[in-house]
Amino acid sequence: MSHDQRSAFVRGASLSMGWADASKSLTDLIFEGVSSALAASAVEMEQIDSVVLSAHDLIDGRSLSSMVTAPAAGAYLRDEIRLAEDGLVALSLATARIAAGESRLSVVAAWGRASEADFLNTSRASMDPFMLKPLGLSEFDVSAFRLSKWLSKYPGKEADRNRAAETRRHRASRNPRTVASPALSFPLNFPLRDAEQPRWADIVVAAVVGCEDAPVRVAGVGHSTDQTMIGDRDFLDMPALRAAASTACDDAGIVLNQIDLFEIDGLMLSDEVITLEALGLCRPGEGFDTYARSTTINPSGGAGAGWCYPAMGLVRFAECYLQLTGAAGAVQSKSRARTALAIGASPIGSQTQTAVVLEAE
Amino acid sequence: MKQPVAIVGIGQTTYRRHHFNRSTDELVREAVVAALADAKMDLSAIGLIVGGVAPDALAGINHIDMSSIARPGIPYFRVNTGGATGSSALLSAITWIAAGRCKAVLVVAVERMGHATTAQKIFNSIFDPIYEKDISLSTISMVALRATMLMQYYGYTLDHWAGLAARNSAVSQLNDTLERPRNFTAAEVLSSGILAWPIHKLEACPTSEGVCAVVVASADMVGDRSAAWILGARGLSDTYAMGDRMRRAEGTLVELVTLKKAAALAYADAGITDPLRELDAVEIQAPFASSEPMAYTALGFCEPSDGPRFADKAIDNRAGISINPSGGPQAANPVSATALIRITECALQIRQMAGRRQVDGIRKTVSTGQGGATQFSTAVILGADRP
Repeated sequence: MSHDQRSAFVRGASLSMGWADASKSLTDLIFEGVSSALAASAVEMEQIDSVVLSAHDLIDGRSLSSMVTAPAAGAYLRDEIRLAEDGLVALSLATARIAAGESRLSVVAAWGRASEADFLNTSRASMDPFMLKPLGLSEFDVSAFRLSKWLSKYPGKEADRNRAAETRRHRASRNPRTVASPALSFPLNFPLRDAEQPRWADIVVAAVVGCEDAPVRVAGVGHSTDQTMIGDRDFLDMPALRAAASTACDDAGIVLNQIDLFEIDGLMLSDEVITLEALGLCRPGEGFDTYARSTTINPSGGAGAGWCYPAMGLVRFAECYLQLTGAAGAVQSKSRARTALAIGASPIGSQTQTAVVLEAE
Repeated sequence: MKQPVAIVGIGQTTYRRHHFNRSTDELVREAVVAALADAKMDLSAIGLIVGGVAPDALAGINHIDMSSIARPGIPYFRVNTGGATGSSALLSAITWIAAGRCKAVLVVAVERMGHATTAQKIFNSIFDPIYEKDISLSTISMVALRATMLMQYYGYTLDHWAGLAARNSAVSQLNDTLERPRNFTAAEVLSSGILAWPIHKLEACPTSEGVCAVVVASADMVGDRSAAWILGARGLSDTYAMGDRMRRAEGTLVELVTLKKAAALAYADAGITDPLRELDAVEIQAPFASSEPMAYTALGFCEPSDGPRFADKAIDNRAGISINPSGGPQAANPVSATALIRITECALQIRQMAGRRQVDGIRKTVSTGQGGATQFSTAVILGADRP
């Protein structure tokens, strides 16, 4: 892998996951999260020349929420843009700005406050009003369709599935960033299970990226988009995911099996598992077993440690960064990883995918 | 060295109060097909699609872009910076190309606010739920507060607002993207009733729907395509509370500090030192007549104290620069798309493709974008000559 003059480097990151802290407003949480990222980066706000954000109005609970949230993230008389996308897209755009010479040091932040957001109804409001909404479909049902297809193709994996759920629960319990007291769960349709739900959290994740050398480099970025209609998609093959990962690896000059560590986004455990299968990290049908055995796939506990759209791709990125810098705490991988792949997905049912390869010195 | 970037394709639907008989997918398709045809490209040449959709609540469908704009196999993301969404989306496209990630980007901005039962109730929800929502602060009352400030500080009168509204209405009659352009005199503005003093009904933009699509390409893709070159493109954000911006050291609320700074940076990128002399046309995102003079000063056309006199000249079309040759957003203001339309109208003028509204001799332009409570500002300079 070779450095080029347009590389972006990660100066630091912070990840905060909590639950329903009535003493803090959303802007308080954002200010704290960005301040922590700046402190972790040894960077003063005055040095920052751009801010790239990912947040969604309906999760934040007000229209054009960046009017009040962007200043809390440091966007005062600064170049700032807000995406209504997964957080990993913001990271990608920030690195593009550095590569383009438009910015030298950028704050990237994403958040979601599950304790106040109405994820289920927000998700339902995303569905086609004529064909899908009357059925009451939500993101959970897309996950149920995906798992149903997997189960029909690969029956008899009950023990693997249980072990994967237990492994994820165990890892999440050791992750010092795991949200402490989740109090929210949603009714699920067959074949989804409560034990495979994400742990809902109030999340603020932030990073500082810049053009000057730092121990971790953003080596590759890839994006792609799947079919619009849910019925048109190949739920198990996930071509958009594979295209995004392939582009990121090509960009980094690395092949997938050379990567040391993976942090994969998925609403349900089964989404994480099917994603790792589609990436080619194991043979089809062996995803639950691989998830349970591998210490390099979602060592953080994935969505079991905390989840709220649209922060999750940047959360996966932050967990990768902490692993690469040896700062992951109790979930630190024993063999120190030098390369990592973070995956972020969008609604509806991962229609767009983002992949980012990180490389340590 | 960064490659220059240009606008090489433009497609627009008509803009009207409510496209009641057409789906968002149909509107997007019309604009995108036109933009690609204008650019002499097909989707296989596009390396990124950027969607511009402001508050989801206006359309009533969350993530309406995912079905109507995003295409399989092409990277896609959505920008939402309120009224500046369209120009912010274009800035992202420029970034992507300048970073070397692809050579051509399709920007598509969509507005379906005619679906909202009342847009002003949704705009009320952009304000603080504790201190501001209960006093019915909306985009109209927000503008009224600023207009009052302008009248007190600089001596603008109701006649200025009415004159500018009538002037833009007259110009808009030549704009074939407007399905039913409103036509009225200054006297009719003053008798049209008060929305929130001093704003009269006919000084306000109409509810507007429509789609604007633009193809942006790197210099090596331009070839013999008709191009409007991007000479400078900048954006800046401000703090939220209008009270905090009343009389701070950086400038008052009506001085549009972020637009002033964004324009200064864009001018520097474009090598412009005397904007009024060097620029031929300006498209200002001023959905209300009283918002327009704030941009005159922020763009460096006059000093704040000279604002009323410059407005007099603008009303009489003798400002020394072509102002809003399209009629501007007071003629149609599809919120998510309006800042992109301002850039598009400048690009059409430079490419001499503006039809009946074409102004002779347009070679360099500036267009503005404003989002939030004049909180997010963009300035984009276009030119006929490759930089």
